[in-house]
Amino acid sequence: MGTRALLLLTPAFKSDCNLLNHFTKYGFHQTVRQQEKLFRVGVRKFSVHSSLERPNVARLAETARISLTPQEAEEFAPKIQQVVDWFGQLQDVDLQSIEPAIRPDTEAGSFREDNPEAFDNREAIIAAIPNYEEPYIKVPKVLNKD
Amino acid sequence: MALTLFRGIHTRPLLPYSSAFSARKHVIFCSMQSTQTETSMKTKQQAPSNFTETARAKAVEKVLKDYEAIIGIETHVQLSTTTKAFCGCAYTYGSQPNSCVCPVCMGLPGALPVLNSKVIKCAVMLGLALNCKLSLSSKFDRKQYFYPDLPKGYQISQFDIPIATNGFIDVDLPLEFGGGHRRFGITRVHMEEDAGKLLHTGSGPYSQVDLNRAGVPLLEIVSEPDMRTGIEAAEYAAELQRVVRYLGVGNGNMQEGSLRCDVNVSIRPIGQLEFGTKVEIKNLNSFSAMSRAIDFEIARQAELYNQGQADEIVQETRLWEEGSQKTFTMRKKEGLADYRYFPEPDLPEVVLTEEYVNGIRESLPELPEMKRRRYEEMGLTMQDILFLANDVNVAEFFDATIAKVPDIKLAANWIMGDIAAYMKNEKLSINEIKLSPQELSELITSIKSGTISGKIGKEILIELMKKGGTVKGLIEEKDLVQIVDPVEIEKIIDKVIANNPKQLEQYRGGKTKLQGFFAGQVMKESKGKANPGLVNKILIEKLNAKS
Repeated sequence: MGTRALLLLTPAFKSDCNLLNHFTKYGFHQTVRQQEKLFRVGVRKFSVHSSLERPNVARLAETARISLTPQEAEEFAPKIQQVVDWFGQLQDVDLQSIEPAIRPDTEAGSFREDNPEAFDNREAIIAAIPNYEEPYIKVPKVLNKD
Repeated sequence: MALTLFRGIHTRPLLPYSSAFSARKHVIFCSMQSTQTETSMKTKQQAPSNFTETARAKAVEKVLKDYEAIIGIETHVQLSTTTKAFCGCAYTYGSQPNSCVCPVCMGLPGALPVLNSKVIKCAVMLGLALNCKLSLSSKFDRKQYFYPDLPKGYQISQFDIPIATNGFIDVDLPLEFGGGHRRFGITRVHMEEDAGKLLHTGSGPYSQVDLNRAGVPLLEIVSEPDMRTGIEAAEYAAELQRVVRYLGVGNGNMQEGSLRCDVNVSIRPIGQLEFGTKVEIKNLNSFSAMSRAIDFEIARQAELYNQGQADEIVQETRLWEEGSQKTFTMRKKEGLADYRYFPEPDLPEVVLTEEYVNGIRESLPELPEMKRRRYEEMGLTMQDILFLANDVNVAEFFDATIAKVPDIKLAANWIMGDIAAYMKNEKLSINEIKLSPQELSELITSIKSGTISGKIGKEILIELMKKGGTVKGLIEEKDLVQIVDPVEIEKIIDKVIANNPKQLEQYRGGKTKLQGFFAGQVMKESKGKANPGLVNKILIEKLNAKS
């Protein structure tokens, strides 16, 4: 479970404001605007620092809707920090001469034709819904709430 | 999994929020299930008529002397693909709730998405139609938030590399709103999936979820903040609807939620360079609601400015309430939105080849703007142009009609007059009436050649729209061929004059207005078949003959 929670938490780092401070000047955003051009010339404009700031575990847990006891939070903090540090190492790699890849894989283009295919065990899906009242799924009232 | 995740992240580790994204929040369309039955077309064409409308327009006009409104629009277009974006579930609006579902769109563990190629095709079509620059490589990202209509806990969307960017759309404003041509910028078009539908009907502590719509493909179109009035915004949206319908990528129906617009409005004192605080308005079910909501919002913000309370304009989402014709705070603190986007590891990158794009570009239909410009060159008035080009089916009907008989003005008049009136009365679309463009052009030819009179033409038209058939068949069947033989007309006139000695006397006594009476009697006698020009000519001769 520990590992899994860690994985769930990692994406949350990226939007951490503090984390982004380093990049706003030559941010990815700007890079993206000129994506195609940059692709051609193969220039990376952003620079990175390895000294990333400490993650706020309590806030991360909240955004991921995971309940952590203070003790667990304390336990996770160094592990998460370790992951952040790995990213720091990755970002330190000099990629000035490397053409950026949008995705790590290259198997592009495996699409599906627009032909319907009904799933034949819908009953099993419906049966697995914790709170179902034909024909709707019942959930706690959520009107106008985040 | 860990590896995939890391690899996914490392390609794009930095995610600053651009202003375009920061205000994005999940859209709640619960109240989109409006009971409104009007079609969006009709709503749009309603000019401000009643008192409150006029008062509102005046209030806004006054405000716009001191302030400038900045309006940007985010539009979601539901694509009319047979299946969902990432699974083979067939989606039909109005299906039994939770019937079109499978492990992929239900977000069950281990289920993997596979992109529907039709979605890419639609995106490229719309991107080209909106004059955008296409990204030959783009990718999908996960936009994460928790909401019961989102089974996976994230929406598959496109974040930093949308499929199309940097386009524009051309609009001709209706004459009743001052007319004029406008070009509005398109920031981006991206592909994403829809969420399910939440219903809050019951009084109990529960909401109901229908996941049929979860995973249905959408294109989100973000405009530049180029609109300045409610009318401009509504026309932008109407043009987008036309483009979607011309392309056939979606039905563009606002009532069903197939076309949804969220509007960002801010105002600033004229001359000020920096933008004011923007407010997002949701729950706009028609173009007219959009225009009214924006005008209300402009007036509301101006009032706060005027009272020195500009700081009370906060970044928030407001809901338009049709009943009270006002906007209400739905939620504040938009800045906290944190979607933790990261690249979707389960989907490969979307790569377009030049050939693919060119193939689609070449097969694009004539678009509304092109059609309007062509009609303009043909010499039609802007009013005619806007009417004919508004509905792709009407435009096609018109084009098919004039293909055979190049009498453009007559064809336009018939379509906009008698045919439009009939469609409105019978609540039918042009494809539902029995009249074909071929028969309309036949009808016009028959009138022009004098085979039948214009009056008979109108009668035949009704028959053709109701029951179908051919002009030739009806003329023969009902013996409606126009009488153009002067001798025959003379006979009828003689008869009519003979039958009305009193009126003849009065006419000759100076009451020359009675000529109309005689003409009417002649037409009646000939069952409307006598050529009116000949009737009048011969009638005058006869009436004035022996005085």
